[in-house]
Amino acid sequence: MKNLWHIAHALWQTAPAFRLALLYLVLLAAVALALPWLPLAYGPNELDLEQIYQAPFGWETETDKSRHWLGTDGLGRDVLSNILYGARTAFTISLPVMALASLIGLTLGAMAGLYGNRRLYLSRALLAALLIGLLTFAYYGIYLPTLLFSQGADYADFLLTGIAAVLFSLLLVLALTPLFKRLPYLKKKSPFPTDELLLRLIEVQTSIPRLVLILVLAAIVPPTLLALSVLLVLTFWTGTARLARAEMLRIRELPFFEAATSLGYTQKRLLVRHALPHLLRPVLVAFSFGLAGLLMLESTLSFLNIGVSTDLVSWGRMIAGIRTNTAAWWLVAIPGAVLSLTVLALQTFSYYVLRTLQNKK
Amino acid sequence: MANFVFRRLLLAIPTLWFIASAIFLLSKLMPGAFGSAHLAQQEAGYYSRSDAASRDHSYRQFLKTTGQDLPLFYFSITSAAFPDTLHRVFPERDRAFLQKLSWQYGDPEAAALFFRSLKTLEASLSESERQQVQEHLFRIYSHEDAAGLQQATTAIASQLPSSRHSQRQMLESSERLLAGSRGYTYLLPSVQWHGAQNQYHHWLSGLLQGSLGTSLRDGRPVATVLGEAIGNTWWLLLVSMLFATLLAMELAILMVRRSGRIWRSTFLPALFLLDSVPLFVLAMLLLVLLANPAFLQLFPVYGMGYYSSFDQSWVAQLSQWLQFMALPMICLVLANLPYLTNQFYQALAAVAGQDYIRTARAKGLSEHRVIRRHMLRNALLPVITLLSDFLPAMVAGAVIIETIFAIPGVGRLLIDAVLARDYPVIMGIVVIVAVFRLLSHLIADLLYALADPRIRSHAA
Repeated sequence: MKNLWHIAHALWQTAPAFRLALLYLVLLAAVALALPWLPLAYGPNELDLEQIYQAPFGWETETDKSRHWLGTDGLGRDVLSNILYGARTAFTISLPVMALASLIGLTLGAMAGLYGNRRLYLSRALLAALLIGLLTFAYYGIYLPTLLFSQGADYADFLLTGIAAVLFSLLLVLALTPLFKRLPYLKKKSPFPTDELLLRLIEVQTSIPRLVLILVLAAIVPPTLLALSVLLVLTFWTGTARLARAEMLRIRELPFFEAATSLGYTQKRLLVRHALPHLLRPVLVAFSFGLAGLLMLESTLSFLNIGVSTDLVSWGRMIAGIRTNTAAWWLVAIPGAVLSLTVLALQTFSYYVLRTLQNKK
Repeated sequence: MANFVFRRLLLAIPTLWFIASAIFLLSKLMPGAFGSAHLAQQEAGYYSRSDAASRDHSYRQFLKTTGQDLPLFYFSITSAAFPDTLHRVFPERDRAFLQKLSWQYGDPEAAALFFRSLKTLEASLSESERQQVQEHLFRIYSHEDAAGLQQATTAIASQLPSSRHSQRQMLESSERLLAGSRGYTYLLPSVQWHGAQNQYHHWLSGLLQGSLGTSLRDGRPVATVLGEAIGNTWWLLLVSMLFATLLAMELAILMVRRSGRIWRSTFLPALFLLDSVPLFVLAMLLLVLLANPAFLQLFPVYGMGYYSSFDQSWVAQLSQWLQFMALPMICLVLANLPYLTNQFYQALAAVAGQDYIRTARAKGLSEHRVIRRHMLRNALLPVITLLSDFLPAMVAGAVIIETIFAIPGVGRLLIDAVLARDYPVIMGIVVIVAVFRLLSHLIADLLYALADPRIRSHAA
């Protein structure tokens, strides 16, 4: 972490573009956070049907209402407040989604890189018992609670199923493992193909372009913010996982890691103390690149009006307004510029960090 | 080589099967089937009661002909608190009601019995009788507790002549229902075996025989619907891909030359800037600037304009097609140019430091010859893989472009199908896109082997 601070400091002094990008991002974040206290005349979803398609920077005011500084859209919604609140929405979706996706990707990728295909030995009996335990857990821990939820059950029922889920699956695993160990085939230990499994999973997910996959899944799930975030996490973790796996493979061959291995440290200690600090920086670069991609994807989805509800304030929704009136150039120019600038700032930031990291090697 | 292709195909089939099955099963597990919203308007009062009944009937017919009344999978695991005939109850509103009944009173058999007797009673009512008990029937469907149910049933019993068989049965079954109490039966799972007569089996066997099913919206085969759309998308993708590749290659060559410093310092930042503009913003911007009477009307705006093209020669047809496709293609080319150029440039720059390039320069070859003859072929190798990944990824761009410019292609079809929840069409598009990607990867592998003799000998 200290190292990162040094990198940022050095870049701040040498690269003016990096300084600009960072300033812009910090400013945008500050405005988005301070929104409730800003003196905005109009709310983002407030309709002003007397002043539709107002051009921006119109200085003359006919009514006694306050001015729309950046114009209005077809329903009289204020462009300025939509842009500011849109920034808020964009970051409240993309930051947690990317953080979660990076965490999943980092964990899975690092595990796959560390264990490979034949380093993690598990007993077959335990695996088989775990599989059965997982099925039980899925029934009591996932299926029944959703059922109970849809029927409006009370707390006692949820508690009961929760206890049943943990108890039954644990009991099954504990009871079945010694039992399975008596069978000749299940008695042996066999390598667990971690790497192969991860690669197959990624292959399945990337066999369809991400946007198409999200569109298809958005047709299935209800258009809520939570569902959309889950979809985005499920489709975004693959990039980080690939990167973390490749980095882990590289780190594993380095002398210091071999030395640590030969000292007989546990796998957990190897992973956490020796590999993770080296993985963090590339993952950070992937994080900010991914954030830019996520911002674009989120606004594209709200532009297409798929997967999000129409009352979600977003840059994409504002740009979609131009499709009904192509003369209203400000509806695409202003939100489009803000969106592009944000993406540009994020990409500049990650580009410089990436370059410094590569130069150091 | 044939061996290699065969192995690749064999490995790809499980992937294809897995993702298609996952999406199929997911889409069926979620509530809200196509057309059920149509039925929910029943209480709107606009239609007469008999009309609603006939709609109910036609909805069942629709479910039957599209095979949606079958169970979903080979087996199902449900809670033992629900009757096993639940999956045969349609529409979904009734199913939810029966589910609620058996959950609330804890006796699935009694609930099923009560539900059936209620339905038979309802069917046997005459129009005037129905008017009388309408309110109480509604109370039964929306009741909260046992007292509410009892009140409603006794109210119905007092208003109708008690001689009727179905009414007596309803009262008896409601008493039985009320007598039971909820225990912990719901903790027990109940497994049912459905055999091959299920939706998944029908879908998969249809898919293996090459049938993608029929669209729920207009009843046409999905293959026909896709066939009409795929031509436009294919040409749009192919032509813009070709243009983007050629342009990127020329730009990269300009930049990699020794005298290309000025190109480097202008193009690289410009491309970096262009890369941060999302595709839909770019398309809307170009649309507003270049196809708008308020600014500059260079291109026609929407659609394909193919109403007048039937009696023209192919030259006129092509020129009209180009007129409409020019702006979408420009958008796709511009959106993909930064990434492609960067990759080409990186590949060329990596080759530029090699020994054989120095040798070629030392021989006194011109810069032009060195780049085109010596560098390009070696630099192109990694780019082949890139392009094969790129063509399917451009499908995502096509979705956006086709929606904005109203081109009747696969992307627009996907958006329409998603908005209408037309799952057979969605599944068809998923399968097509996945197969498309599979094929392009295969072709890339073959091209790779053709371009590099080392790989050829290694594979053999």
